Amino acid sequence: MRNKFNFLTKTSLIKKINNKWFKIINVILAVIILTLMNLDFVISFFGGDFNKETTIFVIDNTNRNSYTVFENTFDNIKDSLRHSEKFSVELQTKDIEYTKKIIEATNDILIVLEYDEINYINALVISNSYIDTILYQLIVSSINTTKSSVVHQELDISMEDLIKINTPVEISREFLDESKTESEENMATIMNIVFPTLILPFFLLVIFLVQMIGAEINEEKTTKSMEIIISNVSPKIHFFSKVLASNIFVIIQGSLLLLFSFIGFQLRRLLGSKSFIDEFSDVGINLKDILNNLSESGFIDKLIYVIPLTIILFILSFIAYSLLAGILASMTTNMEDFQQIQIPIMILSLSGYYLAMMSAMFEGALFIRIASYIPFISALLAPALLVIGQIGILDILLSIIILLILLFIMTKYGLKIYKVGILNYSSSKLWTKMLKAAKE
Amino acid sequence: MLEIKNITKYYGDIKAVDRLSFSVGKGEIFGLLGVNGAGKTTTFRIMMGLLDSNEGDVRLDGKKIDYSFSDKIGFLTEERSLLTKLTVLEQANFFGVLKGLKEDEIEPKLDKLLKTFEISDYKHRKIKELSKGNQQKIQFITAIINEPKLLILDEPFSGLDPVNVELFKKEILKLKEQGTIIIFSSHRMEHVELFCEKLLVLVDGKSVLEGYLTDIKKKYRKKNILIKGNVTKKDLSSIKGVAEVIKKSDEYEVKIEDEKYVEDVFKVISKKSDITKFTVEEPSLNEIFVSKVGERYEK
Repeated sequence: MRNKFNFLTKTSLIKKINNKWFKIINVILAVIILTLMNLDFVISFFGGDFNKETTIFVIDNTNRNSYTVFENTFDNIKDSLRHSEKFSVELQTKDIEYTKKIIEATNDILIVLEYDEINYINALVISNSYIDTILYQLIVSSINTTKSSVVHQELDISMEDLIKINTPVEISREFLDESKTESEENMATIMNIVFPTLILPFFLLVIFLVQMIGAEINEEKTTKSMEIIISNVSPKIHFFSKVLASNIFVIIQGSLLLLFSFIGFQLRRLLGSKSFIDEFSDVGINLKDILNNLSESGFIDKLIYVIPLTIILFILSFIAYSLLAGILASMTTNMEDFQQIQIPIMILSLSGYYLAMMSAMFEGALFIRIASYIPFISALLAPALLVIGQIGILDILLSIIILLILLFIMTKYGLKIYKVGILNYSSSKLWTKMLKAAKE
Repeated sequence: MLEIKNITKYYGDIKAVDRLSFSVGKGEIFGLLGVNGAGKTTTFRIMMGLLDSNEGDVRLDGKKIDYSFSDKIGFLTEERSLLTKLTVLEQANFFGVLKGLKEDEIEPKLDKLLKTFEISDYKHRKIKELSKGNQQKIQFITAIINEPKLLILDEPFSGLDPVNVELFKKEILKLKEQGTIIIFSSHRMEHVELFCEKLLVLVDGKSVLEGYLTDIKKKYRKKNILIKGNVTKKDLSSIKGVAEVIKKSDEYEVKIEDEKYVEDVFKVISKKSDITKFTVEEPSLNEIFVSKVGERYEK
C-alpha cells in the first residue's frame, strides 16, 4: 500500500508539473515578477516625456540674489530625480510673457520669485502641463531654502544659527509599558508597506492549491476512473496522496516565486537601477534608517523565532486548505460545482490578507487578535501581529495548537465524508448525505 | 471460489440489496442481471470493497475481500472509467501499478494485449483521441492486465461492433479457461446466453431467479413451437394452451403456456396437410427475463 501511496503522490505531482499550463503560467509569472521588480527600467527604456531635457527658468525679482541660492539648492538635491542630469536651472532676464512663449509646448518650467514685506518671498510656478510630483517637491523645497536664506540676510542670523534651525529635532521615545520597543513601533510603518507584498505569494499559493486539488479530484470523478482507483487503493491513501502531492507542488511553486524574485534583484543590479531602499527614500520613506534602527534594537534577533513559527503556520495552513479543498471536491460532481463551493475558501483567505494589512492601523484591536487564532487566516494574521508586537509567542503557539486540532478533526471526519463523496455522483440531498457520512 | 453471503445494503430507508447470496467457482462465468436500479452496481461495489454492506460478507477463496485482494481483482465498469488526458501507455501504467504490478512489467503485458485487440498503433495516443469502441478495448485491457482471479464485467460489449464483440468473447473465454472467476452483467441477453453457465436475476435488490441456465430453461414451463406449413394464425390461436402466435417470414412461432400443451398443438397440426416444420424450442433468456422482471426492464 505504501508503494501505491508513493506512486499516486508521484503521479499526481508529475502530472501537475508536466502540465503545459504550469509551464506557461510560470513563464508568465517570471515575466511579470521580473518586469515589476525592474519597472522603472522598463518604463525608462520605452521612453516618454521624462526623457526630454527640462530647464527651470527663474526670474528673480527679489533683488536679494535669491536665484543663486535657488540654483545651488536645487543642484544639490536634484540627485534624487531619475535622470537628474536632464534638469538644469537658468536665470531668465526677459519678462514673464516672453518666457511663457518659450516654455509653451515644452517640459520647461518658469519660476518667478518676488519679494514680499510680510512673507519675504512669494513664488509663481508656471508650466505648460502638470509637473512630476517629486520634481515639484524639490522645487518647493528649493524655494523654501531660498526663503530661509533671504530671512537669514534680512534678520542678520548667522549661518550657524540657520543650520541649527534647519536641523531636524532629535526625538527620543520612552514607553511606560516596558514590553514595548521603538523597533516594533517602526515595524508598523514597515508592515503597511512591505508585509502585503510578502504575504501576497501565500495567498496566491492557496489559490493554486485549492484549484489543483479540486481539478484533479473532479477529473477523476467525472471520468469515473475514481471507481477503478478506489477499488485498488483505499480512499484514505487516495486522499492523503492528493494532499501530499499538492503541498509539495505548492512548495515547488513557492520556491519558483522566490527564484524569480532573486533573479529580479540580480537583474536590477545588472541594469544599474537604484535599490528598493533608495526608491522608498524618493517617496519620503527612509527605509534605510528604519531598518538600521531595527537592527540596532535587536529586532533582527527576533526573526530567529518569528521565521520558523511563520513557516510552521504556513505549512499547517496549506495542509488545512488542501484537506478542506479535497473534502469539498469529493462532494461536488463537476468542476463548475467546485468553482462555486470554493468561493468561501477564497473569501476566508482574502479576509485574512486584508486583516493582516489592517493590523498595524488598529493597534490593540481585540477582534484582530482573536481572528489571529482562527485557522486558515492565522497564517496571514498571526505573524503580522507578532512582528508588530501585538501578540506574543504564546499567542502564536495557541494559533498553531488550534490549527493542529482542526487538522485532526478534518482528518477524522473529513475522511468519512471523502469516502462517501468520491463515489457520489448526485447533488441531491448532498449536505444530508455528507453529514450522515461524518456521523457514521 | 467467490462467495456472496447474505449481503444487505441500505441507502437510508431504501433497501438496495436484500439478503443476496450466490457463489461462483473458478473458471465459471456468472451472469448478474437486472433492470436499471435493481441493485447490480451496489452489489459490484460491495464485491469490490467500495461499499460496506450492512449485513453479510463477500469472500474470495474463503477470505473476506478487502484492499489486500485488490491486486487479484479486475473491474470493468459500465461507463468509461479512463483518464482521457493520458495516453494508452500512461493509463495502463497508472492502473497497472494500482493493481500491484511493477512499472517495468506493465509495458510488455500491454504490448501483448494491444496486439490481441489489434490496436498496437494506439499505444502512445491519448485516450480522448480514440473511438468509443477502442476506449472500451483499453478499459478491458486495463481490467485484465493484472491477470485477475476475479473479473467483474459490467456491460463489457457496450459500444463495440460485432467484430470486436467476437474479439472480446474470445478473450473472456480464454480467461475462463485459465480459471478466472467472471461476473458478467449485460442488458443484452444473447450475450449472457452465450457466456454464462449460471445466472441470477435481481429485482429491487432481491434474487428472483437463480441457477444454471440449462436448469432455468428446463424449469421454465413455457415453450415455443415453430410451425411451417398450410396452417392459419386463427387455427393456431384457437388451440388450448396457446398464449400467442407470431407470424414470422414463412413460419409461425407459437408460444404455449406450458409444455403439456405441446401434444394438443401437435394433434391439431397433424391433421393439416403440407406441414414441413414442427420444432419445440426452449424460450430465450430474454423471454424468461422479461417474464420475471416484467415491464420494469429497460425503464
